[in-house]
Amino acid sequence: MAQRAALLIGGVTHAQKEWKESSQFASQLYEYPDGTREDFISKCKQGVFKDVFALYRSNDSNKITGNFDAELLDALPKSLRFICHNGAGYDNIDIPACTQRGILVSSTPIAVNDATADVAIFLMLGALRNITQVFDSVRQGKWRGNFQLGHDPKNKVLGILGMGGIGSAVAHRAKAFGMRIQYHNRHQLPAEEEDGAKYVTFEELLKTSDVLSLNLSLNSSTRHIIAKPQFDAMKDGVIIINTARGLLIDEAALVDALKSRKVWTAGLDVFEEEPKIHPGLLEADNVVLLPHIGTGTFETQRDMELLVLDNLKSAIKEEKLLTQVPEQKKPKAHI
Amino acid sequence: MKRAKVLLLGEIEHAHESWNSLSNLATLTNPKTHTRTGFLKECKDGEMDGVLVIYRTFASVEFTGRFDEELINVLPATVRFICHNGAGYDQVDVNACTRRGIKVSNTPSAVNDSTADMNMFLILGALRRLNTSMTSLRAGKWRGNVAPPLGHNPEGKTLGILGMGGIGRNLREKAVAFGMRIVYHNRNRLSEELAGGAEYASFEHLLRLSDVISLNLPLNNETRHKISTREFSLMKKGVVIVNTARGAVIDEGALVQALESGHVASAGLDVYEDEPIIHPGLLANPHVMLLPHMGTWTVETQTAMEECNIENVRSALETGCLKSIVPEQTHA
Repeated sequence: MAQRAALLIGGVTHAQKEWKESSQFASQLYEYPDGTREDFISKCKQGVFKDVFALYRSNDSNKITGNFDAELLDALPKSLRFICHNGAGYDNIDIPACTQRGILVSSTPIAVNDATADVAIFLMLGALRNITQVFDSVRQGKWRGNFQLGHDPKNKVLGILGMGGIGSAVAHRAKAFGMRIQYHNRHQLPAEEEDGAKYVTFEELLKTSDVLSLNLSLNSSTRHIIAKPQFDAMKDGVIIINTARGLLIDEAALVDALKSRKVWTAGLDVFEEEPKIHPGLLEADNVVLLPHIGTGTFETQRDMELLVLDNLKSAIKEEKLLTQVPEQKKPKAHI
Repeated sequence: MKRAKVLLLGEIEHAHESWNSLSNLATLTNPKTHTRTGFLKECKDGEMDGVLVIYRTFASVEFTGRFDEELINVLPATVRFICHNGAGYDQVDVNACTRRGIKVSNTPSAVNDSTADMNMFLILGALRRLNTSMTSLRAGKWRGNVAPPLGHNPEGKTLGILGMGGIGRNLREKAVAFGMRIVYHNRNRLSEELAGGAEYASFEHLLRLSDVISLNLPLNNETRHKISTREFSLMKKGVVIVNTARGAVIDEGALVQALESGHVASAGLDVYEDEPIIHPGLLANPHVMLLPHMGTWTVETQTAMEECNIENVRSALETGCLKSIVPEQTHA
């Protein structure tokens, strides 16, 4: 039987034991914990990663190898059939290019849902309650400072853009705070999965939501889905929450909207060019900012790593993935 | 017949229409002075005679000082009702009022949602260790030069609610949506229905069992420093403490020590023993989330609280009874 090796790019922090145990089904375990794109491509071309069949692409590996675009995919060993990515978002992998080369890709949905939704709610409550002003003044010894009253979530309309696993988890939590839920999605969900949420058009979502939460994936058609025209269509004093991807929002347009108070407050975990943040966001005191830590818990980090390893095992032993990316699950894609 | 007077101590910020409509029933007055000494003198000089109902705000303590025995005893004999705007009324010596035949009301349920919201916000903030990364981001360091500590998911963790009154029960509903398991301790065990599936535990059992402890009980002589060194020693290592009730329920110095030793991993606080002064040990700790007593600070809730307090004044004037008399006086 052909050798099927596994390659780990980046690190495994919470499931080292389970990674090492992968030698039970992988012919060899390679590791590329750190380095540069040039060095990695060079090593690939030198044949250092012979017989690699499946690779584990860790969450922080993009800063090592850069995007998995056509150039890099072409450099990878020809034996490679599977890329098991750690992350629910995989916009830094060129999926069509993978499919063309007969490479199947998995991500880590579901495992991220609860932790990301928890952060979305934290940001929403913080934004509703105008918390940044207050955090600053407390730490500066000024107690409440020039405090502006916030708003209760109760009876407000929460609009969810992208009612996938994370969007549903956000809706579930928001209901407990007395919010009314509406959503827009590529397709309406079956009634039993809506949990009482109302399906609306994109325009209706923008026009009638008091709080708008972005929970959709980033791809070429969703880039800057929220820009000036969309802000103009929203309610005055809307609150924006983004735990999905920074590029979904035109960040400069958001800064303008925050200044004019068209957007009353916002809560953001992601940014267009993270770790760089638009200076207008840092200067504003009506925005709550977190450095992309949506899944930053021991439990979720371990769950994600285990899910990648499970995909890796399934790939090597059975030539299929457990959580293959939806774009590839079409009749046309084949090995 | 001389019209009754209603004395306003503090400000009306939202419910102006409702407040002004009381002038159909009574004369609305304000104190002339703005110091405690001045206020006591006005009372003693008979300038407050004819006041039947006092509407007081939490913030008015800044000029009158606490409504303690000294102050209560110089109030004119005409005062029969004190309507306190706030759920916590530890600023008012209710026993002294009872002795003088003065009835006291507070604004209990109006505060439940917004306080529980901030309570849940602090639970998430402390459990997820969000303060550290928020601070490093603002310092221009993204997640920090040293990676911030990973947090923990609320899912599957045990939340111990100390004080299962209106706010505690409201919190329970919200925490359950995050997958938390709820245990509670209360003076009296609640009916199954009211407890909503939360498990009753003795005080010590709650301390030992909980991953997160939330204080939701009123401050009085029995509850002052209810959580101190001994209680911290009974808690799980790595416990998270959240307080939106009253600062003095916790021995702040003992909390700082427990944080420094790591026994308490993180805390989320809205209230402090000597607010607005915050223990320097708390300010110096990057892992705690600190808010300046703003549990009810929303337009909607502040308005509802004022409306509720004005309702109590109206009820006193129209019927001689308060709508939300404090529990200690229910049988007075």
